[in-house]
Amino acid sequence: MSALAGQDQELPQPPPPPRPTLQEVTAAEDRIEELSDSEWESQDSEAQDSDTMATPKITPSEYVRSVTIPIQDKLATGTTEVQDETLEAVLPFLQGNPNDFELNMFGLPTLRKEAHIKFLKHALGRYPSNFAAMDAARPWLLYWSLQGLTALGHDVSEYGERVVSTFAPFQHPTGGFGGGHGQLPHLACSYAATLSLIIVGTPSAYDSINRRTMWHYLGRMKQPDGGFTMCPGGEEDTRGAFIALVIISLLNLPLDLPPDAPARKTGLTTFLDHLGDWIGRCQTFEGGISAAPGNEAHGAYAFCALGCLSIMGAPASTFNKYLDMPRLLHWMTARQSAPEGGFHGRTNKLVDGCYSHWIGGCWPLVEAAGYTNIWNRNALARYILAAAQFKKGGLVDKPGKRPDAYHTCYNLAGLSAAQWRFAYDGGVEVEGEVGKGDLGAAFCWRVEGEWEDQRVWGEGDTVRVVHPVFVVPWGKAEEARRYFEEKEGF
Amino acid sequence: MAPGIFYHDDPAWSDVEPIPQEDGEHPLAAIAYTDEYSEAMSYLRAVMAQNEYSERGLELTEHIINMNPAHYTVWLYRSKTLEEIGADLHAEIKWLNPTALKHLKNYQIWHHRQIIVNKLDSSEGEADFIATMLEQDNKNYHVWSYRQWLVKRFGLFSKPEELQWVEGMIEEDVRNNSAWNHRWFIVMGGRDGKELPEAILKRELDYAKYAIRKAPQNQSPWNYLRGIVRYAKLPLSVLKAFTLEFADLARPDEVFSSHALDTLADIYAEENSQKEEAKKALDLLATKYDPIRANYWNYRKKLLDQPEAVS
Ligand SMILES: [Zn+2]
Repeated sequence: MSALAGQDQELPQPPPPPRPTLQEVTAAEDRIEELSDSEWESQDSEAQDSDTMATPKITPSEYVRSVTIPIQDKLATGTTEVQDETLEAVLPFLQGNPNDFELNMFGLPTLRKEAHIKFLKHALGRYPSNFAAMDAARPWLLYWSLQGLTALGHDVSEYGERVVSTFAPFQHPTGGFGGGHGQLPHLACSYAATLSLIIVGTPSAYDSINRRTMWHYLGRMKQPDGGFTMCPGGEEDTRGAFIALVIISLLNLPLDLPPDAPARKTGLTTFLDHLGDWIGRCQTFEGGISAAPGNEAHGAYAFCALGCLSIMGAPASTFNKYLDMPRLLHWMTARQSAPEGGFHGRTNKLVDGCYSHWIGGCWPLVEAAGYTNIWNRNALARYILAAAQFKKGGLVDKPGKRPDAYHTCYNLAGLSAAQWRFAYDGGVEVEGEVGKGDLGAAFCWRVEGEWEDQRVWGEGDTVRVVHPVFVVPWGKAEEARRYFEEKEGF
Repeated sequence: MAPGIFYHDDPAWSDVEPIPQEDGEHPLAAIAYTDEYSEAMSYLRAVMAQNEYSERGLELTEHIINMNPAHYTVWLYRSKTLEEIGADLHAEIKWLNPTALKHLKNYQIWHHRQIIVNKLDSSEGEADFIATMLEQDNKNYHVWSYRQWLVKRFGLFSKPEELQWVEGMIEEDVRNNSAWNHRWFIVMGGRDGKELPEAILKRELDYAKYAIRKAPQNQSPWNYLRGIVRYAKLPLSVLKAFTLEFADLARPDEVFSSHALDTLADIYAEENSQKEEAKKALDLLATKYDPIRANYWNYRKKLLDQPEAVS
């Protein structure tokens, strides 16, 4: 589900194929298993000819067995029913290659970059009238597509001018961006628009954002308890807190609340007042983080909360100050589905490719706080490569679902989190001296290199580095911040 | 408005100059709207630009919501209009019910409902409506969040019906984590950290244990059980006898719950002399009972050698 966007995509979809009986599925699985084992052998014999292949390998079926939890309760409920269905849908893809994709040296499908690029370019194109439900989500369609394209190494400068002119009528005279011309401003739209323009990264893209009215608009979202609403009178949740700080930090806006901010009446003076404590109140008895105090712990809201704290200061200091880290780690770890390897968003929910980022993306942030090598990167990469790639391009929630720009963007961002190692250089002189002023913490990251240990992706399957906090191509956030730091006033 | 009639033909709208959508040159991700949608939006832009709050504006929002329920602007304008013209809010709720059922996953509807019910200052009928919604999707995040708002707004924390209802939801699917979270919310959420009365503490411990016995590999009640023990500031050892029912290091081949092993590791870690036992439990998790999380279990093992990190 697309929690950050504030809506689920209810797009027209073909009816699902009839569900096969368990027997049919098991029979099919056996077949695929045999097939994949023999394919494996042929791969292996090729491998023996080459002396570059030294990594010990197990067959896909052995792998699945090796990560399966050998305990199953007898009691069936609605939850186990859909879990069983999901496993039936995913297993053939983990154990074999039903789409006949080209395989990498580890026997997994390669990342089909060209097909995904084609899909995302299409996602930037024209939509038929039955997509009216996306009318308020067009900023997201641009952001997901542009971000996904850059992760795949595609140069998006061809779209630069059109991104700027598309967003021009979305900007509201009172500040912030709406979902289209004449629509009211909203933090979700403001976030997607700002990131898209920063991905474009030209002076005209930067200058198209009215920073002064944006500052005033954000000021109106600040609440007396420290959090932020998504729009005037709208819901207050961790998305609001994250988005507000992302925009303030990237655009280098003043940290003081504007004089007309209603929260000033209750004694607040800056955007950060009570914010850390408010985020802390969102940590639940499970250890995870919810939309707002009292709600259920949820992956997408957890990412927003951790992202917010990563902008407020060095993760090692803000996380430990406002969160119970052992319990957070316990909850985050439990979000990895076994044997699927991908993530789900809440306890007892189903694996879904978008959580590759919502949970997968939490890991670089907690690693920066000093909790390293706790999660299973390879299992996530396996899920993305083997189960989340749609035959004709684009990435999906799970096999059997249709691809969309949202799941494509966030599967790829999750793949970046799995494939790259980051280091946090808090306090250390950063190259170019970006981020010296307020809210500069998220500019102190460094890319250490690729993850190597038992990796299951080949050279061609690597995505470009996605910034762990801002979720834009590596370097773009720094460029934007530098541009706005060098600007005098608004 | 009658079907098939467009606003530009409607005398009731003849005073309004529609504002067509400005899209710039070669817009990206443009939608080829139907004429009906496109025109309705042009009239919406026009009435919004005039700050018009009227009955016909309300009808216009209804028309657009039927075509695109995910349109937050229309919802915001609708709730402002209701307020400005002093509309009948009971009628609004009546209209909302089928609309919400039709668009189950929609976010805006729930926030809108919250605004209306807040103004009505009564939660009457809401519990039943929520139950109907959850019949369709019993883990819907917005519906549960709305229920939590309702409990808080109308002080329903200690209402026996609320606990009974959520117990029914857990009874129906003991793995429904949203229901467990709601139980926590009504039992612990209204207490502001205040001590749990002995009787309630016992009731909650018993309830979580009862649920675990039904399906020991279900993490929801384990999280709940450990949450209560932490809330009550009890040592984890109060769970030792219970946990051993499902995982006992003396019988490493008969483990009925990885979550019991996990809990057992923490129980042993808390007893300083039992670190080796804790490591054994974590080893079993890493190598046999929950191998996908081997890195995490091994990390927990390393922590055992750093005494200060455990406290
Ligand atoms: Zn998803």
